[in-house]
Amino acid sequence: MRQALILVALAFLPGIGQAIYFRDKVSWQLPVPASEMVTVVQARAWGENAIWIDARPDEEFARDHVPGAVSLNEDRWNELLPQFLAVWSPEKKIVVYCSSQSCNASREVAHRLRNQAQPPMQNVFVLEGGWEEWLKSRQ
Amino acid sequence: MAQVATVKFLWRIVDLIVGGVFVYAGAIKALDPVQFAHDIDNYKILPWAIDVGLAFYLPWLEIFCGIALILRRLYLGGLSILAALISVFVIATVAAKVRGLDITCGCFGHASKNWNFSTHLGLDLVLFGLVMFLLFACGRNFTASQR
Repeated sequence: MRQALILVALAFLPGIGQAIYFRDKVSWQLPVPASEMVTVVQARAWGENAIWIDARPDEEFARDHVPGAVSLNEDRWNELLPQFLAVWSPEKKIVVYCSSQSCNASREVAHRLRNQAQPPMQNVFVLEGGWEEWLKSRQ
Repeated sequence: MAQVATVKFLWRIVDLIVGGVFVYAGAIKALDPVQFAHDIDNYKILPWAIDVGLAFYLPWLEIFCGIALILRRLYLGGLSILAALISVFVIATVAAKVRGLDITCGCFGHASKNWNFSTHLGLDLVLFGLVMFLLFACGRNFTASQR
């Protein structure tokens, strides 16, 4: 018991240090700032001004996807990015979705587009509820 | 006598494997705590603020416990914590599956991204089995008589 407590206490030290180091890189309030989220209704209202990105795996995209959506997932990022860049323009809004509210792929793709794409992109939004929410809105 | 030495040697190998696995898993997550916070959040069990706190803390706990096994210092404490961590993780994984969540476990960073539920659970159970084996061996005084 004493040994376990020592280890538990020791791990706090680098953990706190890292939390301080990353204080500007992560919000403790929300996983994705509300300003970077968009609902299906809002995104649909953007019409032609929005580019939809499907961040799910290839087989799920092949099965079905939002009409006009471009596939861009992390597994084949380098292969798929050019086809997205071909339809992208700076004034358009980008809506990224994955399978559901609990999936992570859309956040990751959105993060990479904002921070790693050349040029870095603005107006990148994550779709609340993802593909599941889109299906519900279609019914 | 030779048999006892062989058994002790094998136990030591298991120590190193389990310790190494947890140091590796912890280090990968410590390198990208923000991603790990999202991975914890995917389970939809805890509020985001706690997910973030755990994402900064848990990787280091894994690393220290792994080092404890490798160096044979604070050994029993390390094993007990790892057994508890794996148990909680197995329960959370099964609960997520039952609730139909599409989870990314994140246990081994990018490498585990496309693992399915069975792979997650299988690996966790193997690790849990090894940790319990070491705890049992420790209890029988095979490996830890001087710890």
